Amino acid sequence: MKTSTKWEELAAFVLKEAKRLGASDCEVTIIDYESVDTSVRLGQVEELQGVAQGLSLKLCVFLGKKSASTSTSDVRRRPLTKLIRETIALAQYCPEDEFAGLPEKELLAVKIPDLDLYDPAIGAISPSKKIDIAKAAEAAAMSSDKRISGSEGATFSDMRRTFVYASSQGFIGSLVTSTCTLSAVVIASDGGEMKVGSWGVKNCKFANLPSAEAIGAKAAERALQQLGAKRVKSQVVPVVFDQTMASRLLSQFASALAGNLIYQNSSFLAGKVGMQIAATNLHVIDDPLIPGALGSSPFRKQGLVSRKRTIVDAGKLEGYFLDPYSARKLGCKANCGDTSNLYIKPGEQTPEEIIASVPCGLYLTNVSGPGFKVVSGAYSLGASGIWIENGKLTYPVNAITVASTLPQMLAGLQSIGNDLEFRSSINSPTLKFESMTIGGE
Amino acid sequence: MDKANESAAQQLHKIFGLTGSQLDRVLAHALRLNPKQAFCDIYLEAGVLEFLTLDERILKNPSRSVSKGAGVRVVIGDKVGYSPTDHVTFTNLRKAAGIAADICQHAGDLSSVPVNTDSKNKGAVQAHDLYSLQNSPLGMPLSEKIALLQSIDAAARAYDPRIKNVTVSLAVDERVIIIATSLGNLVYDKRPMLRLNVQCLAQEGQRRETAKRGGGGRVEFSHFLNGELWQRYATEAAKEAVDLLNAEAAPAGEMTVVLGNGWPGVLIHEAVGHGLEGDYNRKGSSAFSGLVGQKVASPLCTVIDDGTMANKRGSLNIDDEGTPTGRTVLIENGVLQGYLQDQMNARLMGVAATGNGRRESYEHAPMPRMANTYLAGGQSTPEEIIASVKYGLFALSFPGGQVDITSGDFTFSTSGAYLIENGKLTRMVKGATLIGNGPKALHNVSMVGNDVSLDEGIGTCGKNNQDVPVCVGMPTVRIDRVTVGGTRS
Repeated sequence: MKTSTKWEELAAFVLKEAKRLGASDCEVTIIDYESVDTSVRLGQVEELQGVAQGLSLKLCVFLGKKSASTSTSDVRRRPLTKLIRETIALAQYCPEDEFAGLPEKELLAVKIPDLDLYDPAIGAISPSKKIDIAKAAEAAAMSSDKRISGSEGATFSDMRRTFVYASSQGFIGSLVTSTCTLSAVVIASDGGEMKVGSWGVKNCKFANLPSAEAIGAKAAERALQQLGAKRVKSQVVPVVFDQTMASRLLSQFASALAGNLIYQNSSFLAGKVGMQIAATNLHVIDDPLIPGALGSSPFRKQGLVSRKRTIVDAGKLEGYFLDPYSARKLGCKANCGDTSNLYIKPGEQTPEEIIASVPCGLYLTNVSGPGFKVVSGAYSLGASGIWIENGKLTYPVNAITVASTLPQMLAGLQSIGNDLEFRSSINSPTLKFESMTIGGE
Repeated sequence: MDKANESAAQQLHKIFGLTGSQLDRVLAHALRLNPKQAFCDIYLEAGVLEFLTLDERILKNPSRSVSKGAGVRVVIGDKVGYSPTDHVTFTNLRKAAGIAADICQHAGDLSSVPVNTDSKNKGAVQAHDLYSLQNSPLGMPLSEKIALLQSIDAAARAYDPRIKNVTVSLAVDERVIIIATSLGNLVYDKRPMLRLNVQCLAQEGQRRETAKRGGGGRVEFSHFLNGELWQRYATEAAKEAVDLLNAEAAPAGEMTVVLGNGWPGVLIHEAVGHGLEGDYNRKGSSAFSGLVGQKVASPLCTVIDDGTMANKRGSLNIDDEGTPTGRTVLIENGVLQGYLQDQMNARLMGVAATGNGRRESYEHAPMPRMANTYLAGGQSTPEEIIASVKYGLFALSFPGGQVDITSGDFTFSTSGAYLIENGKLTRMVKGATLIGNGPKALHNVSMVGNDVSLDEGIGTCGKNNQDVPVCVGMPTVRIDRVTVGGTRS
């Protein structure tokens, strides 16, 4: 596994200096990255963006139960000493908070597994190859149908990131990761109206990225499927969420499990651990240890140990995402305040079988707006998709709303597809909900 | 060297330890592949952001971030190369210039594209002085800031015993930006920004609701103390959270909607503002492309973007390309007048730049963005407007919105609203999403109030992963046939 000695030494300097200047504890995070975005539009290079140097250092000092944080991109030794002094001065202003502090030592990662998150092949791709890949994605979309009338372009992005975390408890972890992303955005037009369709895939491994042709074709398909959309009347119907919409819903669900919202009692899932919150077919898993996956990490934030966790088991809520502070407030053990690779365990049915089970309803392919209130679980969004009649996709619909509440949706989760794919760090197969309110004509 | 250049040069030396002639060498390096047709600018930024949060009556982990960085941009024809650095030295700027200049190898045929030989912006002096502050908010003692947060907490809790928690945050941002261009411009701007946010949690039995208020702008800390503004934020947030506890489900379907003045102007921002940004219209990908001179709204509608309003959150003395900001009438009496432009899109479309070239920070290249965007006032009183509605919704506060530029379909969400029945506000209903289509929705504006105002200074606009501060505004407005996304069908 690739690590970084240079930044580990800098982190050690910050910790030593903070102690010398009077901090009782200190933690430091250093992120150093390089990235290049290569964008083409209508077959020509349109924009090249490359980071000459990306660097940030964040530190948090503790004076007993007082704390303060600062960040900077200036990592020369003398300015850092000055910043540490300022951070300590800021912490002195802060009242004591009995729950403040570094994570308990027994929760820290001891072994740091190699999860295969760095691909040297990404850094070796030549600028002209990146241009060719982006051009191929756009060309595939443009040539797929004569109704594809325009393009917002295609972009190939690659990034290499070094992450170092160290704390005065003696933990030091360093990690080098890489990612590449290919996306395409095209416009379909049928006479007057224009519809935009986009698709993008990110991966830690260049070899695992789908072909440019597949990504372009999918972007075109998503633009074309909206042409000729109609409105429907306001009504209550079953709604099938495609993979992208289901994944988005899963991330909204996960946001309601954040430790700070739980101890503030401002999430609809506060106090629900151990209770049935969804239909028994729902299993939600968070796994940071999947080799080569986008959300994987051999150690978690603040050096916490990486562990696979079941978040929802047969519809029963098993736990939250707790950082050390939230965990202490709730009298629980910290796991990590964030998701890693969060997914819904796939079911048995194909998406086609799920659609076939709907006599009349909506296949949801796009939503818009903030529309989700974490305190009550209220859910209301602008929507478009394809109308289902007698188990078949018929015509596209748009300019409608789709609304319910997350508690009701979860209880009425009727089917889970077998089509789980790891396209980002939060992934869901197709989902079918028993009933939601459509607002339309 | 004129006066503006002189003080910018002083700032450059003081903050970054660089000289004008060093920047000239960076510019020359960036243009070496095509000195005649390419354009280059260097954007340098130094900022401090202080962030204080009071939650559960405790000040939690105060933070301060110090940033210094720069980005070098090379523009040739309609193509852009950009390279930022987090560590500003002559060597790193030269390296960035080299990366940004790679775009010149892909310039293609420049014979049909207007190139950047325009020098009308050369030596532009700072056109406005919209937010010079006597007392820097960053310099105010922390104890005073903490005391304000505590007063807000106490006022919100005192409103009603059902208020169970209050989260108050104060962000103080102060940055200096310097822009040097290959046309000989060297300008700088000092930009303060304050933002206060209050969130209240109300609980009664198993029901819980939250509501937010806040404000700010390019103002001094005393802004919140004048007229006890902070007290209004506290009680309004508390009241809305408590009222929502007993609100009914919102209706679903098409109905008449009345929007209150101020922040509901997010409708204007989403429905027309984004669709009128120059980049989308140059590429023909906006639902408004090619509609200049055509009727895109009811004759009651005049929409203006104005970056020159004193102390407002969306205001700038110069935009992030060094162009003085302006006041642009986008729609006049329902007819589309023009677009919001940065330098590149203005040149390519053969029009003047409007001073709307903005970026989130040195990490990003600029693009056309809104400043303070609002619907101008009309003739009706707010009371007349509500009294005119037999059945509909009166919506007050909004978490935000979103728009699909190409189709023009937009969404904005209300966090709480009242039913209007027979011309009177009756029951409160829970939040719901409202939707419409940009070039169509404003045709349905049937009454425009005489109470135009901008929001309190809370808006942040996102585009292509770049966030910039903006204001939105409007008077009370009646819109017919809006689709409301409630749960009661």
